[in-house]
Amino acid sequence: MPSLKDIKTQINSVGSTKKITSAMKMVAASKLRRSQEKAEAARPYSSRLEEMLSSLASSAASGEGIIKLLTGTGNDQNYIVVPVSADRGLCGGFNSSINRETFKLVKSLEGSGKIVQLMPVGKKSRDFFNRVMKEQIIESFVDLNVSSTGYESALNISNKLQELYFDGQFDKCILVFNKFKSAISQEVTQQQLIPLDVSNSEKEEEKENSSNAIYDYEPDEETILKDLLPKNVSIQIFKVLLESDAGEQGARMAAMDNATRNAGEMIDSLTLKYNRTRQAFITKELIEIISGAESI
Amino acid sequence: MATISFDLVSPENLVFNDEVGTIIVPGKDGDLGILPGHSKVMSSLRPGRVMVYNEDKSLIKSFFVSGGFAEINPEKCIVLAESVVEVNSLEKTSIEKEIQELENKEGKETEEQLSVAKAKLEAINVNYYDKI
Repeated sequence: MPSLKDIKTQINSVGSTKKITSAMKMVAASKLRRSQEKAEAARPYSSRLEEMLSSLASSAASGEGIIKLLTGTGNDQNYIVVPVSADRGLCGGFNSSINRETFKLVKSLEGSGKIVQLMPVGKKSRDFFNRVMKEQIIESFVDLNVSSTGYESALNISNKLQELYFDGQFDKCILVFNKFKSAISQEVTQQQLIPLDVSNSEKEEEKENSSNAIYDYEPDEETILKDLLPKNVSIQIFKVLLESDAGEQGARMAAMDNATRNAGEMIDSLTLKYNRTRQAFITKELIEIISGAESI
Repeated sequence: MATISFDLVSPENLVFNDEVGTIIVPGKDGDLGILPGHSKVMSSLRPGRVMVYNEDKSLIKSFFVSGGFAEINPEKCIVLAESVVEVNSLEKTSIEKEIQELENKEGKETEEQLSVAKAKLEAINVNYYDKI
């Protein structure tokens, strides 16, 4: 049976853990608000770009050079998978679900005879894949700090990807990331980045557009498309990074909220135990005194 | 008089959103003046000034964009730009320094940066379009 002093120290240490977790929760909550604002601010740009692209996409049948970002290389052999995780832990299943999903995806692609390479974003996925499939990593990006550096960080990733793509290193690129659904729930999502998947981008809107999309193009459709496609890749990555950042804060907030509550429960039950033990001691001492007095 | 709604969007935020009288954007093949009721045009942009005017042709704001796209229809004009700064907040000396540094370097990226920096300098120095 633990002594009174042991229980007291345990209560104290759980108490200080609780203080830390509740502070982390507050920090995450305020960061979440900021990340959410950022993600929302970026939304008009990407949605407008998508609209433009969908009205242009139909005009490009096939072609060489930059148009390949839309039409693909015609092959389906080499894949590059980009898992987007956080740089830090203590956010529940946020990172591990990304790693698990990516791992499954890579295995299933390899199972069907494809060659898969990895380009992890964020420390947690880099460390994980460094352990399990080191030789497949071609590049990794860590310490991005999307919320402070902004668009630049997405541009780096996008430039690297396009460089590899036009070098013929891969045919398809898939992003795996946490989609921000609400402050407490994230959904692991796979998105094909290259070649661009136009079909899934809001079909209804496309229909609406096609009926009245008689635009004049300046200089011409192809030139605009050539400018637009690389930009779209960067913007998609930027959007994903922002969503993932907001998701991370949300996940951390939920995880820390849980931890704080659990610590509270633990303190309650420990205090009860402490009081019981204390009373047991007093009763025991009383019995000793009384039985001592009786025997005289 | 009629107005046209104008959105200036950068990847990070919505920079400008209001009803205006006239807009001048730097199209790839030449500047485009946009009035309410303009026909539908989609254009890519070169680095340069985006000028926004009131209904009575007085200048509201001028921005520098480093390229992007403009989508124009009779009621609305949307400019998607990679980076947007107000021309008033550009500093001549720092840009001149940047140009000097870039001129000493080589490579494709530097060339692009250089042309953007030169366009910035031009945007500060010129004053046509200030009154239309």
